[in-house]
Amino acid sequence: MSSAALETKQQVAELGEKYKYGFVTDIEMERAPKGLNEDTVRFISGKKGEPEWMLEWRLGAFRRWVSMKEPTWSKVHYPSIDYQDAYYFAAPKNQPKKQSLDEVDPKLLETYNKLGIPLSEQMALAGVAVDAVFDSVSVATTFKEKLNEAGVIFCPISEAIRDYPELVRKYLGTVVPVTDNFFATLNSAVFSDGTFVYVPKGVRCPMELSTYFRINASETGQFERTLIVADEGAYVSYLEGCTAPKRDENQLHAAVVELVALDHAEIKYSTVQNWYPGDEDGKGGIYNFVTKRGDCRGARSKISWTQVETGSAITWKYPSCILRGDESVGEFYSIAIANNFQQADTGTKMIHLGRNTRSRIISKGISAGRAQNTYRGLVSVYGKADNARNFTQCDSLLIGSECGAHTVPYIESRNPSARVEHEATTSKIAEDQLFYCLQRGLGQEEAVALIVNGFCKEVLQQLPMEFAVEAQKLVGISLEGSVG
Amino acid sequence: MTLALPTRRIEEWKYSDLARVLGDAGFGEDSARALVGPLPHGVEAFSLDEANRPDWVNAHYGKLSTNAVSAVSLAKAQGGIALRVHKNTHVEAPLALDFLGQGHVRALLVLQEGASLTLLERCGGGETRNAGFEIVLGRNARLDHVRVAPNSSAVQVEEISMTLANDAQYRAHFANFGARLSRLELTIALKGEGASVDLSGVSVLSDQSHADITTHVTHEVGQTQSLQLFKNVVGGGAQAVYQGKVTVKPNADGSDSRQTAKALLLGPRAEADLKPELEILADDVKCAHGAAVGDLDADSLFYLKARGIPEKEARHLLLHAFLEDAMACITGPDLRESVRGAVSRALDEVTV
Amino acid sequence: MLEIKNLHVAVDGKGILRGLSLRVDSGEVHAIMGPNGSGKSTLSYVLAGRAGYEITEGSIRYRGKDLAALAPEERAAEGIFLAMQYPVEIPGVTTMMFLKSAINAQRRARGETELDAVAILKAVRKKAATLNVSEEMLKRALNVGFSGGEKKRLEILQMALFEPRLAILDETDSGLDIDALRLVAEGVNSMRAPGRAMLLITHYQRLLDYIVPDRVHVLAKGRIVAEGGKELALELEAKGYEQIIRDAA
Repeated sequence: MSSAALETKQQVAELGEKYKYGFVTDIEMERAPKGLNEDTVRFISGKKGEPEWMLEWRLGAFRRWVSMKEPTWSKVHYPSIDYQDAYYFAAPKNQPKKQSLDEVDPKLLETYNKLGIPLSEQMALAGVAVDAVFDSVSVATTFKEKLNEAGVIFCPISEAIRDYPELVRKYLGTVVPVTDNFFATLNSAVFSDGTFVYVPKGVRCPMELSTYFRINASETGQFERTLIVADEGAYVSYLEGCTAPKRDENQLHAAVVELVALDHAEIKYSTVQNWYPGDEDGKGGIYNFVTKRGDCRGARSKISWTQVETGSAITWKYPSCILRGDESVGEFYSIAIANNFQQADTGTKMIHLGRNTRSRIISKGISAGRAQNTYRGLVSVYGKADNARNFTQCDSLLIGSECGAHTVPYIESRNPSARVEHEATTSKIAEDQLFYCLQRGLGQEEAVALIVNGFCKEVLQQLPMEFAVEAQKLVGISLEGSVG
Repeated sequence: MTLALPTRRIEEWKYSDLARVLGDAGFGEDSARALVGPLPHGVEAFSLDEANRPDWVNAHYGKLSTNAVSAVSLAKAQGGIALRVHKNTHVEAPLALDFLGQGHVRALLVLQEGASLTLLERCGGGETRNAGFEIVLGRNARLDHVRVAPNSSAVQVEEISMTLANDAQYRAHFANFGARLSRLELTIALKGEGASVDLSGVSVLSDQSHADITTHVTHEVGQTQSLQLFKNVVGGGAQAVYQGKVTVKPNADGSDSRQTAKALLLGPRAEADLKPELEILADDVKCAHGAAVGDLDADSLFYLKARGIPEKEARHLLLHAFLEDAMACITGPDLRESVRGAVSRALDEVTV
Repeated sequence: MLEIKNLHVAVDGKGILRGLSLRVDSGEVHAIMGPNGSGKSTLSYVLAGRAGYEITEGSIRYRGKDLAALAPEERAAEGIFLAMQYPVEIPGVTTMMFLKSAINAQRRARGETELDAVAILKAVRKKAATLNVSEEMLKRALNVGFSGGEKKRLEILQMALFEPRLAILDETDSGLDIDALRLVAEGVNSMRAPGRAMLLITHYQRLLDYIVPDRVHVLAKGRIVAEGGKELALELEAKGYEQIIRDAA
């Protein structure tokens, strides 16, 4: 493997364009009428061929949503969103299900090729199964047999609702309740598709599961729904990667991810998010308002979130862990890079309910250009969480004098045997570090990429190998032009 | 401006439910009093309930207060005191300022260029009170401030808002022994290069008492420094709150800030809520914060007991040691000893 | 190779070098000696092109080119290496990763093909062994937690890898015990070559017992006040800077 910094330079040179994934696939779309009302919800549910209980669940959420107000407490600023001026369902028309890749619209395959994830190669890559979600509907699912053998269910959630209704009903909405927050409630009403994973008792999922999400249709709010259940003693590692085409209108993305880990189960969830961040002037870009939460429901269970957030105009997400089971463990490793006019408000919540629960938070925030980057985190220890432990390290790096770094940690403890520790630092790239690199022949941007990758190392190490390399490159690309 | 009291839905009052403990009556309409000790040479006082306020009072009164509660005291307080220390006057002996009685009260303290003063503020009585205190430090002025808030079953709220000019120094220690609801809010603007604040505090709480220290230090210009060290020992069903926000404004390069908040919980119903917050808008700064909540170190406790020190005494010793560095910077040995004594008595309460 | 004429350099508007002239030819080793504050480190930084060191008068020519026109990384690719007095720590970036990035950046700038990881690792291992730089050090973050001796050995390792034309060693002996000093000196001596010039910047004569210079220059108050052969260093040791500077005046 050659150095990430060098690859970054090469890649940027090859691109000839700032945003590699800024293209639109011209495929006919089937859309729900514009706007949001009960009929929209019925339309979506009908299109998906959903059972009655699912429709009722959606309608319940919709009625609740109508009475809710959009939150205003975060540090991000954006023009108000007209929820009636968007499409809530868009699916490629050449449907339904393909039996093999040959039947898939060649334009889609071309899109994946541009994304650098040719399915044919992905299939050959041992250990990675890709359930590619193009806009709202899954078009290709691979490695099914191998997973079938292990008894692992890995499929579009729409399929799971039809094929595994008991499992879905048992867990859906139990981690992020329908009423949880404005965006989660909206998602519950109109979610189009997403991923369902169930790993049965005692099974270690034989490969990393990976889904590439992609927003494509113009003016389409994207409402993914992901539910991952690891039954007793099970293990699964899930990778989520995101890229989106370039576009001027801001697009709303309000996903919900629910993780459930039962006794002795472990879920590792990794995200690399490089959605379109808007241009150098702050025009365009994705609004990424996501609710991600994991429930360590069983004793000795473990949920680990790792995220590399380099994209979106606005990011608003707090992957959290409810440490309910005794001796359960929650982890949050995060890199958030905001450049130009990006705004990121991200962090985590670690809710210690059970005894001997442990959590660890490592957050690396990098601000450049005129971006605002906020870490917002809660560590809450409840009265019964004897011997709970938390360690939080929260570091900010500023590049340039017009950006901002904000750290807002909340620490609440109600148990005398608990120990919570929080450390935070703010720094900039030191002139002597930069000079040292230059003296040894590295160019300015290469030196910055190298130093920033070093700053992020503790988090990058947590990523599976395939992602770590991509993430290192992204760090370089996202900071391009940040040093004068 | 509405004069409604903040509820827990207001982010800054998340941990202190003022509207609930006060009920419909609020703080009432009464005016509390501010008493000041014998005035040393070079210090003048003006009673705020008198008419014809002099220019130096008008120039500063009501200019700095920022929060909702302070707005109430400004609107309703009938009295209080304004103090001014004249240019280059160094007052040696500590000057006492006592807030007494129930209701709203205001105070204003102006230190002119090069003046220095040690202020001992005592929150006496135990009545429900809402104090608004404005402090203006001129160039090179130096204020040492010790505030002691004895345990009380009332609701006591105070907002201290201040500005510091070039090279002004503010060193403060806040000893808190809890109230039904006790809130001290400091809003500090470092407006001149070379200005520095050094804040420290100890809260020792037992039973159902509550103490909330909320600070907001703004580095408006560069080459300014802020240090904060707050330590809490929480027993019974008490609640300690520290919310500290440090803002570094754009171009305030060379700002240096460090906040530390620590709490020890002694009982199963005790609670600590810490929120050290940074808002950094300049890049050439040194800012850090740390926070920790825990229990006494079991190894140290065992060590002391193994050397024959009884449990209660050992705990007392370790708690005192935990608080000591936050008390070490109190100016003047007499004041320091008196705070230590009060802390020691309060520790006896919590280590029963 | 290097010709400095009447060089004046200011830092924050304050003149540090005031009319320094120096000529170093290929294959030569020159020592620049001087008391604290004489401008020794300023000379090394201005040669390497650090920002904030402003040339107000005079010129530096390196292999016939105006050095001031080149960015620091261009100078590195042109073969200028500065072994720093205080090598900088870069957390999270492993030493090996750094070496690889630097070697290939320089090769790229010179239009040479880049080396793959295996080739670089081989080259690094070979040179590391003679300088007592362990595998474990190469895996650690660059200079982070390194002892003074380890840092200096790593600087010399980089010099050996980059094979510069002009090596400037700024107080390379400071903070080294005798064994480490010998090791570093052996590394430097093995690099002496007809096509390479070296500039040793030092406060003490001690280093020159191990690396014998062709010429010795005494720097004081921003200019060269005395010059001579290697015996000048011994004279300095015996008389002290003040005496020599006074004699020269």
